[in-house]
Amino acid sequence: MADLVDSMLDLMRRLPPTNVEDNVNTLIEMCPDYADDLLGSVDQPLKVLLDKATGKEYLACDYNRDGESYRSPWSNEYDPPLEDGTVPSAKLRKLEVTANEAFDTYREMYFEGGVSSVFLWDLDEGSSDDKSEPSGTWDSIHVFEAAERGRQAHYKLTSTIMLSMINRGVNPGADKEKEKIEVKRENETALSGSMTRQIEQDQPLQEFTSHITNIGKMIEDMEIKMRNLLQEVYFGKTRDVVFDLRSLEDLEKSRMQRELQKELLGSLGKRT
Amino acid sequence: MDPQERIQAASKFLLQSPPGEINDVLNDVRNIISDDDTLQAGVLPALQEYNLAQFITASVPGRQHQSIVSEAARVPSGGEDEEADGEDRFWDPRSRTSFKFDHLTLEAKEPQSYEPEAESEPFRTALETSALTYISAHFHDGVVSVFPTHGALNKYVIQVVANKYNPANFWSGRWRSEYIVDLEARTITGRILVNVHYYEQGNVQLSTTHTISLELPSGIASSPEASSASKILAIISDEETKYQTSLNESYQDMGDKTFKSLRRALPMTRAKLDWDKVLGYKLGVELSGGKGGFGAST
Repeated sequence: MADLVDSMLDLMRRLPPTNVEDNVNTLIEMCPDYADDLLGSVDQPLKVLLDKATGKEYLACDYNRDGESYRSPWSNEYDPPLEDGTVPSAKLRKLEVTANEAFDTYREMYFEGGVSSVFLWDLDEGSSDDKSEPSGTWDSIHVFEAAERGRQAHYKLTSTIMLSMINRGVNPGADKEKEKIEVKRENETALSGSMTRQIEQDQPLQEFTSHITNIGKMIEDMEIKMRNLLQEVYFGKTRDVVFDLRSLEDLEKSRMQRELQKELLGSLGKRT
Repeated sequence: MDPQERIQAASKFLLQSPPGEINDVLNDVRNIISDDDTLQAGVLPALQEYNLAQFITASVPGRQHQSIVSEAARVPSGGEDEEADGEDRFWDPRSRTSFKFDHLTLEAKEPQSYEPEAESEPFRTALETSALTYISAHFHDGVVSVFPTHGALNKYVIQVVANKYNPANFWSGRWRSEYIVDLEARTITGRILVNVHYYEQGNVQLSTTHTISLELPSGIASSPEASSASKILAIISDEETKYQTSLNESYQDMGDKTFKSLRRALPMTRAKLDWDKVLGYKLGVELSGGKGGFGAST
């Protein structure tokens, strides 16, 4: 029943992004048969795990999950260990190792910290970047499909960025003036959510590792574009709605001013 | 999950509905539960809880204005309206009308005239007059209701709600504020809650809470009703404007500091990566978090 999944996805588009994990779990409990559909379609905040073999951190998401275990891109091992866990073919694993090194560089250049992981599997591929700060988190998940056509490759990239920020304040603005009366104020502002975009592109393919340069450039451009988009939506659109609800200016006064102006124009019009 | 747990889960989803989207959430939930009879009866408490908490407005029968349906608007039990279904009546002090409220269709029905307590009415009316002036000065589509407190003579509740729903452009917003004016204790305690949902190819939400508590300047309680009411609304107006300005500053802060510190617009080099170079060399130990080493299985 396809439309049941549609309803679940519509629900996840409306409920607060801050509760996404909790709500997904509830939906899975309600409809266990649809767990895979749901986990495969709803992006959730990435978790950081430690690769015991190499001591390096990696990301846990639906793309390196097999049952309850997650595969580290560094050691290629599942934790908890799996005898027959899905791993990429030898050729793809080699590309995966190189891709993880390349994206480690990319991550350091743009995020100056955080954790990134690239997971490849035969047919389609996924990569993730993550960075967190005390006052905010940025999780990006880039999933791409590559189809080789001779010396060309066709790429389909789906990028989701989950961004959340919290600001807390006690007595904001109180010290800016001498207040005649005793006042206590406390506030919390939370901006959170996710946005998804998709592009398709053809790129030349000189050798197998060209996949990394090609997809690297696509992801870099996509993240730059989406960073602008997030800035516009988070700090522009949502703010505009607040100012659409309440006006700092006295609306009655501006209404009266407009009336007055009309009258003046009217009387001027009569005179000439 | 047994049917009752499923209804509980559905109720939990409903209570998280963004402004103006409760029907969309209800439709989704309906499809997921696919048992209309159980659902309809089961989620009514959640719908009522949502409506009361969100200051849902009702068109007062026979009037041109809207009135807030909230816990404060409930007709006190034991009153003259106590009938079989009397517990679910709300009232609009402005028109002195009580009505039954349908939490699913949001319709106000069976209006009756309702006589407020005579002692608190003069000051309540004065607050209402000032509040209506304030609302039309600062809100584009604001609704305000001023309620007396049953059993507390000098305590009033001012509730404000403003909604904008724009599903065609995938956004909605709600501003709620509430002030409890206590003339006896000479205090105002209030809170402002703002929710915005933007959902074009995504799901981005702003959720804010702001609490205020302040002492009423001496002399306010002893002034004539109209003048002390307008002074109280001037304080509220001032607080809300201050809050809105500080919210603007929060935006600036998050945009300039938090957002920028999460991800740079461009690397320090001010240029995009040279991916051929990235493939060609490794950037050394400091870039891999100082832990060194890489894939053991290569």
